[in-house]
Amino acid sequence: MLIKLYMQFLKFGSFTFGGGWSIVAQMKALYVDSEKSLTDEELLDLTSIGRSLPGTMIGNIAMFYGHRVAGFLGGIACVIGMITVPMIVLMIITSFYTAFQHNIWVASAMRGVRTAVAPVILSALMGMIKSAFKVPPCVLVAVLMFGLYFFMRISAVWLVIIGAVLGLVICEYYERVRKLDVTA
Amino acid sequence: MLLLELFWSFVKIGFTSFGGLSMIPLISGEMISHGWMTASEVSDIVAIAEMTPGPLGLNCATFAGMRAAGFPGAVIANLGALSPTFTLCFAAAVFFEHFRKNKRLTQIMTGVRPACVGLVAGVVIELALVNYYDSGNVHFPSVILGLIDLILLLKFKISIPKVLLFSALVGIILFGVMGL
Repeated sequence: MLIKLYMQFLKFGSFTFGGGWSIVAQMKALYVDSEKSLTDEELLDLTSIGRSLPGTMIGNIAMFYGHRVAGFLGGIACVIGMITVPMIVLMIITSFYTAFQHNIWVASAMRGVRTAVAPVILSALMGMIKSAFKVPPCVLVAVLMFGLYFFMRISAVWLVIIGAVLGLVICEYYERVRKLDVTA
Repeated sequence: MLLLELFWSFVKIGFTSFGGLSMIPLISGEMISHGWMTASEVSDIVAIAEMTPGPLGLNCATFAGMRAAGFPGAVIANLGALSPTFTLCFAAAVFFEHFRKNKRLTQIMTGVRPACVGLVAGVVIELALVNYYDSGNVHFPSVILGLIDLILLLKFKISIPKVLLFSALVGIILFGVMGL
């Protein structure tokens, strides 16, 4: 069982390019559509909880699924399976990068790639904005955190924690004062 | 000691990041303050992680860990980044039904999501300041290429790996062949 889980997630992990959503699509194809061992709704729940817990989303989803099928060890088997191929690929690339970083052709290719990094992050940011601004004070949180990070150089670790506290405060305020449930 | 430092750094990153790009401000902060990477290298790892399989956060962990302390570093950094998965997420899996509709979690995320938007916006500017400047001056060929990339991504919805590949090729021509 553990070996089967490991192999399944080894395959999922090999084909997750650019973000975790492709693994969810692969899990749907195998577990929901062909094996029918999981319903669409269950997968959605796994995904949404995996996403709202700290850490990488697909690591969390792998842990959830593995635990459901075969307990803690099942979870471990899925997580390890998922990271095996990406880790090996990246180790090889890192060695090459370190060796060829200063080669003129590699350096010019990387310089070209670097010009695309800010646009790539920016385009992903556009996608985040919609779900991030549930109520108007959320905009204020974003602006405040930007300022504290960019101008005051406060560590992102602290700012995320402050954000969590502000989230609690904002939701409680809306619920008690305005009788509005933001979480619904 | 280096391994322990690396592990602790990625435990911090793991527990305060919520998927995908929200990890970048945390990784960038930890890597640069420890001197494990320069700002240009942070850009490179984001690009490399986007082009290779696997989640961004873990790919960054492998890259940073390996650069700082070789193979053991890569393993340790991954374990650190996965520590919330092995602890918190495991606990959540045990009490899955209870977590399914947890109100506090949603309340926390109501604040964490906009906070991440602010942080990620900060990182975009930070990286832009490094990537579009060349010894103190704005480097126009880079800026123009960046704008083209942005249009390809937002307007024409070209996928990220393709845009990165395109930029690499243009980079070879502009900076390698033409020497701009």
